Amino acid sequence: MNVVGKPQPRIDALERVTGKATYTNDIHLDGMLYARILRSPHPHARIRRIDVSKALALPGVKTVLTNENCQIVFGAGGIAGGQQYNDEIKKITKQRRYVFNNPVRFVGEPVAAVAALNRHVAEEALRLIQVDYEELPFVLEPEDALKQDAVKIWPEGNLSLNQRNEAQPMTTRRGDVQEGFQASDLVFEDHYSTAFVHNAQMEPRSCVAHWEGDKLTLYTPTQGISNCRQDVARDLGMPQDKVQIICQYMGGGFGNKNQNQDADLITAMLAKQAGAPVKLEYTRKDDFIGVHGRWPTVQYYKVGVTRDGMLKAIQLRGYSGMGGYRKNTGAIGGIDIYQCPHIESVIYPVYTNKTVSGNFRGPEYPQGYYGIESMMDDVAYKMKMDPVDFILKNMTRKSRDEVPYTNYSLEECIRRGAETFEWKKRWRPQPGSDPGPVKRGAGVSFMAFRSALGRSNAVIRLDGRGMYTVFVGVTDIGAGAKTTMAIIAAEALGVPRSKIDVVWGDTDRCPYSVGESGSRTTIQTGYAVIQAAEALKRQISEKGLPVGDSVLVGSASPNPTLEGKVRAAFAAHFVEVEVDTELGHVRVTKYLAVHDSGRIMNPLTARSQIKGGALMAIGMALHEDLIYDRRNGQPLTAGFYGDRIITHRDAPEIEVIFIESDDGYGPYGAKSIGESSKVPAVAAVANAIFNAIGRRMKDLPITRDKILGALA
Amino acid sequence: MSKPKSKKKISRRKFLKGTGTALAVATAAPRIQTQTPVETVPKTSIRVTINGAERRVDVEDRWTLVELLRDHLNLTGTKIGCDRGECGACTVLLDGRPVYSCSNLAVWADGRSVQTVEGLAQNGRLDPLQQAFIDHDAPQCGFCTSGQLMCAKGLLNRNAHPTADEVRAGMTGNLCRCAGYNHYVEAVLAASKGGAR
Repeated sequence: MNVVGKPQPRIDALERVTGKATYTNDIHLDGMLYARILRSPHPHARIRRIDVSKALALPGVKTVLTNENCQIVFGAGGIAGGQQYNDEIKKITKQRRYVFNNPVRFVGEPVAAVAALNRHVAEEALRLIQVDYEELPFVLEPEDALKQDAVKIWPEGNLSLNQRNEAQPMTTRRGDVQEGFQASDLVFEDHYSTAFVHNAQMEPRSCVAHWEGDKLTLYTPTQGISNCRQDVARDLGMPQDKVQIICQYMGGGFGNKNQNQDADLITAMLAKQAGAPVKLEYTRKDDFIGVHGRWPTVQYYKVGVTRDGMLKAIQLRGYSGMGGYRKNTGAIGGIDIYQCPHIESVIYPVYTNKTVSGNFRGPEYPQGYYGIESMMDDVAYKMKMDPVDFILKNMTRKSRDEVPYTNYSLEECIRRGAETFEWKKRWRPQPGSDPGPVKRGAGVSFMAFRSALGRSNAVIRLDGRGMYTVFVGVTDIGAGAKTTMAIIAAEALGVPRSKIDVVWGDTDRCPYSVGESGSRTTIQTGYAVIQAAEALKRQISEKGLPVGDSVLVGSASPNPTLEGKVRAAFAAHFVEVEVDTELGHVRVTKYLAVHDSGRIMNPLTARSQIKGGALMAIGMALHEDLIYDRRNGQPLTAGFYGDRIITHRDAPEIEVIFIESDDGYGPYGAKSIGESSKVPAVAAVANAIFNAIGRRMKDLPITRDKILGALA
Repeated sequence: MSKPKSKKKISRRKFLKGTGTALAVATAAPRIQTQTPVETVPKTSIRVTINGAERRVDVEDRWTLVELLRDHLNLTGTKIGCDRGECGACTVLLDGRPVYSCSNLAVWADGRSVQTVEGLAQNGRLDPLQQAFIDHDAPQCGFCTSGQLMCAKGLLNRNAHPTADEVRAGMTGNLCRCAGYNHYVEAVLAASKGGAR
């Protein structure tokens, strides 16, 4: 390997430190109007009448949209049965989400949108729109929403329908749990709950739309330009080639910017109606309550083990709060990392009158792992076993006990981590045994995360100057996709990275790519880059190097599959915390993350991602929470300050060890990275707190008041 | 907000006629005025030094400093993350000290000096902080980076050789959701040890 595996700065690092990187809100088009959105102040209400006449009469206001003059289905905003919206599902679903809905089902739901000559006029116009609401009863918690007398958020009830329009929970079974419990010597039961946490990416959503004839160009921060184009075209009833999506730089997303959003559709329609380009800017509060965050959950576990600590049965009954619309599955993941003959998982995705839940870095895992890993940590303690020994005894060795992994390094991650971390020294056999008011303890958690192969495309052009231009439909959410593609291209072509240009983030210039979601970019598009490089090299060997104005082009559209195997990235995290039992304050004093993400393309940026995911998870474990007022259904902490994401001052050093492997798949053996470090981290912190204070914290976030309450 | 004193009427037709021709992304030279005034709002003429160059600008009294920089001076390197003083993405130096430009009115900059990320590199040479940010992979998505840079610059102006804890304390008002905190602190320490100032 000449380029792959060498720590190297990003190809666009200069733009990022000089202010030259162009984000969506930096786009300015001549004659551009500014847009703002009026949102529902009620958690559940029917709109009797909207009067926009005063707003339209305000000088400078160009157009106002409401559900009366804009009835567009927001396909990605309310999927059926947890499945992506396609034409088939669009036809059958009973629970269709529009851009503007009536009734409104959560505080923050769009009611009207205004485009005006400047943002001050647009904001003034919002105040002049008169909405006559009939307030309806509301329900905030998923278990309450399933009660007989709960208000129905949808006519069919509050359990979200599956693809066949049936009100059924998501159920998976292996073996027979009742048989498993009978075969167990000991059975443990407990429950855990997790909060709604917002993606809170630094860049609030914005969008710039402009039409030239029947062609729409959207500048929008999306994690997948190809999927965004497909969604926008479908929702607006346009052919895909009439929609151009441009996303050059974006300020993070973590799942919040997957596909398209209603903001894109609203901006497009405002621009069409106004006959001028329009820029929509979200406020931070708009972003918090108007897009989506991680679904809150309640998880009831029952676990059966033999006297020597072997798992026999795991049963999970879970409830996920989806908000007013179901934007993702609402699954609760994690059980599958244990080897266990009898498993049953029954998850209820439930509508509530809170803001919508959707993708956020490892969508169903950090909250699910917190539940199952806390539960198993507790089982180990109750059986007087070291949690590391319990894990080594019971962790997954084949996917779902059946299908072999392409490589298996989980045991190495755990053993190497325990040794480096000095687990035996830091872990307290007797939880809460430190004398002082400040007590220390250690926790562990581990994970396996999908690293599946899949289709993508790449085109590489070699010109007479000897420059290779790689065309890939990636954006750069911050993980460094552009740089990674350049590294892979340089390696595959056998040329220095300085000979590579990357063209990205524009659907008119780049071929389809899956986009920055599911930690798939490197694996899927990176593999396509290698294949395109091979195609180009064949051309070069046949025709020789191009000279003058001539060019050679290599392209590839691979769709590799795995036969009878599963690919997964593995990790183990070890955390030491210090808990001030008088103040309830938790400080992370040591953190080690050991990851097998296959071969690492660029250790510098890979480390950034692992550290970032772990730090973000510490915030989720300790403070992040979109709190609602039970009396009126109002969100109280919508913003950075209220939600308390982690800051410089709270952030400990994260040590990272990569156990590199090459399983023969993907680009040079690369596996997933982006989401993986967040998956086990919350559980590891929670387990460390238990070890320090001897009290099991069963409700996220583990705030000071809860710790003091548990110790009282 | 006060009621507009007089209203300048612009018809939709007239507006579209005037703007429908050139729809290119503006990357050209800075412009002072990009938004068509539709109402008479109080304005003040201020004299402000931006990245070393003194200029006179007519600002609406309601404009924040970041609005002036981004929308009217085309200095879009400064970002708006929250527009309410919570995240630090809009940090610039006002007379050498870091401030949130979303929480300062543009008129308050009258007679003062503003430095933005665009003014960090001198004569084509990167500031040592910029180079250290690149070397340590401090920016991930990059959206908070300008603010982190300006805050760090202000910190090093006051304290040329901070400890790691002083860097964390000094920059704690600058959030990073990618949580590149470890690398930001490493980068600031590396730049301060370079002896560049």
